[in-house]
Amino acid sequence: MDEPTIALTINIVSVLLALAGIFFYIAGTVGILRLPDIFTRLHALTKADNLGLGLILLALLPHAPDAFYAVKLFLLWVLVLIGGATGAHLIAKRALRGDGEDIH
Amino acid sequence: MIARPPIRNEQGARKGANSPALSARLLRFLPRLILFTALWLVIAGSDPSSWIIGLPTVLFATLSSLRLASAQPTQSALRLGGLLRFLPFFVVESIRGGIDVASRVLRPRVRINPGFQSYRPRLDHPGARVLFLDSISLLPGTLSADMRDGVIEVHALDIGSDLVPELQRLERLVGRVFGQTLEEDGA
Amino acid sequence: MTMVAFFLALALVLLITMAVGLVRIVIGPTPADRMMAAQLLGTSGIGVLMLLSTALGIPALIDVGLIFALLAAVSVAAFTRRRVGQDQA
Repeated sequence: MDEPTIALTINIVSVLLALAGIFFYIAGTVGILRLPDIFTRLHALTKADNLGLGLILLALLPHAPDAFYAVKLFLLWVLVLIGGATGAHLIAKRALRGDGEDIH
Repeated sequence: MIARPPIRNEQGARKGANSPALSARLLRFLPRLILFTALWLVIAGSDPSSWIIGLPTVLFATLSSLRLASAQPTQSALRLGGLLRFLPFFVVESIRGGIDVASRVLRPRVRINPGFQSYRPRLDHPGARVLFLDSISLLPGTLSADMRDGVIEVHALDIGSDLVPELQRLERLVGRVFGQTLEEDGA
Repeated sequence: MTMVAFFLALALVLLITMAVGLVRIVIGPTPADRMMAAQLLGTSGIGVLMLLSTALGIPALIDVGLIFALLAAVSVAAFTRRRVGQDQA
């Protein structure tokens, strides 16, 4: 393959990944709004959102200016994954035990 | 959050008896130091002047992580083979999980049948338990809601199907990352 | 359409999604629901920042994204440690 073809292929893959990412973001937001209780909403938040961010970062990866930036993108995703999953667990635990200030 | 393993006095006593205490401490210190140095390099870039802040930060991070981890068993090295098996599984299941949630919420009537199920994990290593809890939340249809007295409350979007086989599969893979082998049929 | 324009358009779509997600913060009903929606805002915000970072050629925006991620984790942990009547004490 010559160079323009490779560039075009990368751009097409990038576009598809980014669109998929946006789709999961929208699904996450719809889930947060439509699902009936706090636990099911947490499902939408953890899964759809983290996948959305992961796909968008993957789409941006070929456009990274240098290798440091690419590693940082990956680091950012791992950080959000850990933070999101742990945060969801903490919120669910708090709701389940009923020891928060919102339950009277 | 994590149940601490029983105090490992006999282990520490054994180490103090002969003199590899220093090398053992170095063995705990060095991997963390290298990890945090690499992390700083990624965050701050290659500019040498960034080390004015970077060096104290890296040292402080290493010391505080050692302090926080002191209750853990020392043989906590990650197994590369286990990690290489876990990562593709994790990626595939994350994608399945996202598609699962999306397909449930994007139809005219939300299709869910939520409920709780208890699961008792057999993982010993505290790090393995954290990885297990976080992975449950990213897998299709499951969310780790609570952990108390060694029992995990798993919330499922669809309680109709049995969660145990899936959880056991995940647990085996997580166990292998931390060098713990779990037999096929437990529970 | 160039990639820059495409990424900018996606950032705009994501911003609109964020704005729709704000509805959950308004209607609640519990503080935990609002916290969750704020977390969603953080994740979407990181997505917008990263798209803008590439589209506008500002690599430093990724540091802002990293700070967002750290603050989101800390704020959720702090939120779940709150107890009844703690604010009045």
